[in-house]
Amino acid sequence: MVSLTTKPMTQATTQPGSSAGRTLHPALGTTARVLGRRAFQAAGVVVLVSTACFAMVQSLPGDIAFRIAAGRYGYDQVTAASADSVRAELGLDQPAWLQFLDWLGGLVSLNLGNSLVTGASVAGELGLNLASSLQLAAVALILALMVGTTAGALAAARPGGILDRLTTVWVSVTRALPPFLLGLVLILLFAVHLGVLPAAGHGEAKNIVLPAATLAVGLSGLFARVTRDTMAQIRQSDYVRFADTKGLGSWLVFVRHVIRNTGVTLIAYVGVQVLVLIEGVVVVESLFAWPGLGHALVHAIFWRDIPMIQAAALALALLVVAMNTLVDLATAAVDPRPRHKEAVL
Amino acid sequence: MSLRLNDLVVSHAGKVLVETGQLDFEPGKPVTIVGESGSGKSLLAHAIMGTLPHNLKAQGSLAVDDQVYDVSDQANRRRLWGRTMSLLPQEPVLALDPTMRTREQVAEGAPTFRTDKQGARRAADALLASLGLKHASAAFPHTLSGGMAQRVAFAAATIGGAPVLIADEPSKGLDQRARAELAELLRSHIKSGGILLTITHDLDLARELGGEVLVMKDAHVVEKGAAGEVLANPVHPYTRRLLAAEPSRWRHQWMRDLSEGTERADGRHGGSIESSGTLLVSGTGLGKSFGDQELFTDLSIEVRAGERVALSGPSGSGKTTLGNVLLRLLPPDTGTVQHSELLQRGRLQKLYQDPALAFPGRVPLADSLGDVVRRHGLDHARLEELMGSLRLAPELLHRRPGQISGGELQRIAIIRSMLLEPVLVFADEPTSRLDLITQEETMMCLMEQVDKLDCALVLVTHDDALAAAVTTRSIALGAPSAVIEPELELAAQ
Amino acid sequence: MTNAVAMQELLPASAGDSKRPKWLANRSATQLVSAGLLAVLVIFAVAGPLIWPGHAVQDLSRFLEAPGAGEPLGRDHLGRSVIARLAHATQLSLVMSVLCVSAALLFGSLAGIAAAWRGGWIDSVLHGLSEVFIALPALLVVLVVSAIANGDLWTLCLGLALAQWVEYFRMVRARSGLVLAGPAVEAAGLFQLGPVHVIRRHLLPELRPLLTTMATFGVGSSILALSTLGFVGIGVRPPTPELGLMITEAFPFYHEAPWMALAPVLVLTTILIGLLGLRSKESPA
Repeated sequence: MVSLTTKPMTQATTQPGSSAGRTLHPALGTTARVLGRRAFQAAGVVVLVSTACFAMVQSLPGDIAFRIAAGRYGYDQVTAASADSVRAELGLDQPAWLQFLDWLGGLVSLNLGNSLVTGASVAGELGLNLASSLQLAAVALILALMVGTTAGALAAARPGGILDRLTTVWVSVTRALPPFLLGLVLILLFAVHLGVLPAAGHGEAKNIVLPAATLAVGLSGLFARVTRDTMAQIRQSDYVRFADTKGLGSWLVFVRHVIRNTGVTLIAYVGVQVLVLIEGVVVVESLFAWPGLGHALVHAIFWRDIPMIQAAALALALLVVAMNTLVDLATAAVDPRPRHKEAVL
Repeated sequence: MSLRLNDLVVSHAGKVLVETGQLDFEPGKPVTIVGESGSGKSLLAHAIMGTLPHNLKAQGSLAVDDQVYDVSDQANRRRLWGRTMSLLPQEPVLALDPTMRTREQVAEGAPTFRTDKQGARRAADALLASLGLKHASAAFPHTLSGGMAQRVAFAAATIGGAPVLIADEPSKGLDQRARAELAELLRSHIKSGGILLTITHDLDLARELGGEVLVMKDAHVVEKGAAGEVLANPVHPYTRRLLAAEPSRWRHQWMRDLSEGTERADGRHGGSIESSGTLLVSGTGLGKSFGDQELFTDLSIEVRAGERVALSGPSGSGKTTLGNVLLRLLPPDTGTVQHSELLQRGRLQKLYQDPALAFPGRVPLADSLGDVVRRHGLDHARLEELMGSLRLAPELLHRRPGQISGGELQRIAIIRSMLLEPVLVFADEPTSRLDLITQEETMMCLMEQVDKLDCALVLVTHDDALAAAVTTRSIALGAPSAVIEPELELAAQ
Repeated sequence: MTNAVAMQELLPASAGDSKRPKWLANRSATQLVSAGLLAVLVIFAVAGPLIWPGHAVQDLSRFLEAPGAGEPLGRDHLGRSVIARLAHATQLSLVMSVLCVSAALLFGSLAGIAAAWRGGWIDSVLHGLSEVFIALPALLVVLVVSAIANGDLWTLCLGLALAQWVEYFRMVRARSGLVLAGPAVEAAGLFQLGPVHVIRRHLLPELRPLLTTMATFGVGSSILALSTLGFVGIGVRPPTPELGLMITEAFPFYHEAPWMALAPVLVLTTILIGLLGLRSKESPA
């Protein structure tokens, strides 16, 4: 659900000289403000996630040192002595607040630690996961944008027409069908019954088809909806009607005014959908065993592999911030108006 | 070039919204249609243009030179747009694409735009420069003032060389200076041999344009003739009523005899007026700016009991801000505001430009007013009495603010403010959104109460005629960042 | 250029003179059907566990028994009654989601009003916190919180509430900010009407419709999140029946006992469709 609130703007000046000067400053100011806001978000996300993970360590049943030692040396090699040495080494015998500072310190120095399960460096594994997640998200997003905007534009051309109604049905179906159910349906259909596509795996091009399609179907409905509504609204706008009566011809009006302004809204909407996309990535990766961040996170939670949980959760959250930053910068580039609008998610 | 409209009928679900006989338009002779909102005047313009909403039905024919167009088929005039006929939109700020620079928006109207984009852009630059907007051709619409946006829209509408220009409420939202510029632009179209049809509720604009005036009421043209004649010696009762509603012609009981205001020479006045009333509000050394824009500096103002003061000035001059500073709703950057004890316990009241925003929007008016009555332990009969004396049906109170007309709602706002028998009422453009006749009715309601209670009034308005009719003293604010006008300096002393 | 305003003045209002009772007058057919579907499910969730109480009773001799008279949905791979499990799962989903949404709505709205009303450091702190929370996908918050406490029911609930409060907070803060800064509240101040009037006449009427809509969608997304967690195996712990968990468990037996998988899917989609339909903006029937 999105709502835009407009904060009062400073009054437009009637002084010609200052208005020309004003067009430059807000652009720079906007970029700085966007980056500042997102940097704050990133920092906050890191603190929040790592605090939660520290709390996880503290509340873990059993001795964390024992588990870490087990992770390092293997379960049959662990002795009380080796657990003690780990405890001393990691400062686990210190008071909790000191441990917390250490914990954060480790994060600041970009030391994400080793997996409690495999013992391998978390950072190393994460790189591969991140790459596969990005690949999946990008393919799904592009697919959803292509299908969604086309359907939305066609529906907006004739509000109330057959395409409009079909789009409405499509949107309703995608909203009532959660990604994991949709994924199951697709697996049953294409992998089990038809046998044309693999249900799981990674590496071959056709492996990505089902997971990406699962993600894209849900998103495309939302994009179709927004494109349709925005376009229908813009077609009714005063500036499109004025462009009509300038004698521009409907195609030029569409290209120069309708598409342009729909784009502004749509780009902002991609930012809103980033959260949906990332949630979908977590679900779909688990369903299709796609070796991305979401898959890693769910696995890590299942095995209580805290360094891995922390790293994967951080990577996913920072991915959201990064994508939103890109969206903000793109919006600032296409829409010259000063940014007094704040999206409320 | 000639344009003739024959037997136009516009209707919706069987209800006739516009019905005219034969209307002729010729080059060099502007035609202006005046009338109040709902009279169908805008629909007439859109019927000629072929831009009526789809749910309306139109019949009749339009002859452009020798070519005859059936009005019921809207699409047949599309190819005339921009080249033969063009429309100057109302609210130009909304009619410009917010994401496109003004040069592009003007250039795309040029006939050569498809074939020679650079040439079209040069033509746009030249046209904008000739309208005094040289510096604005690379600007985005949100940086333009209302008047500048109107000139950009004029450039975009006329660059295609269409001889027929239809202007639909072009002065909406413009202050007096911007309106004068607009009239100048429209006259220039006439001088260059074009046909001009202007739709407006603004009688001053109709006077400035001259030519022929048509008065519309309830879908029909009730009177037509030369502007000088119709707007000076009207024949039809409706036109008479309309003209009598202009503030400069008001004659009412509550109006203070102009001769009484002894020092009143030019309708404006310094602040050093001798007044016997108690000092209600005194502001000293007031200054306020928004960002880098200075609205006013070192301004001193006094309002005494029973006074009627106007705060006037063009849009953006800080009238409303000054008012809010005087009401202590907004802190000044410099200076202090003192209120008399008489103003305590809700005896200082404010009326708003848009009354729909001054009431909680989702509850019935009876609840909003009931809270005031309960909070101050008033007699409910007082509310009923006021409803009666302001000629409002009691049933209106069961509706929500959005469900009644602006004029009626403003009257209910007046009633609400009068419940506490205020000593000072601050009215912020209370009638600027209303038609002339409704404006007069509303001001009558307000002033009868003000007169009866002998309460002081501060009226914010951009309309000098209204200020002159209602108030006895005027404080004028200049354009933003402009030199403060002499009257103000006098007031500051 | 637009005739919208002129048209509104010209045309008589057509709505509002319906003869139907008030609560029905503005409902579309879709909304009525959706309300009906949801009512059936709520009855199932309330009465089902009473009619079929033994959801945990295992009887391996009745492995994947087909539906029959006493067991409308047959038995699962552990010989447990599918309808009993389904009824309990539906109840669990509805109760948990309503609890989470209530908690999120209450905290989010109060925080939002406080931030808008008081401003200052309260606003700065809460707004800063919300800035961080909107960057976190809800599922991520629930996953991490439930990981801290091993998937207890109450931590799941807490996690969901924690993931959702920010939506209510931001909406309420933005709306209240606009309302409180508006002329109507300014006027109320000039009449010295006090905070009770402002909350009762200005804030609540403005916020209520939006909060209702958000809560409706919120219940839907909570149920979805719960079942998603159950589905990937880190939500509600196994013996407890849960919709997502039931779908996962039934999936391997899809060929032998399709009803076992289809029943929870059907319940889940019906809830979601019902909630969506309740908010459909179709014109009144």
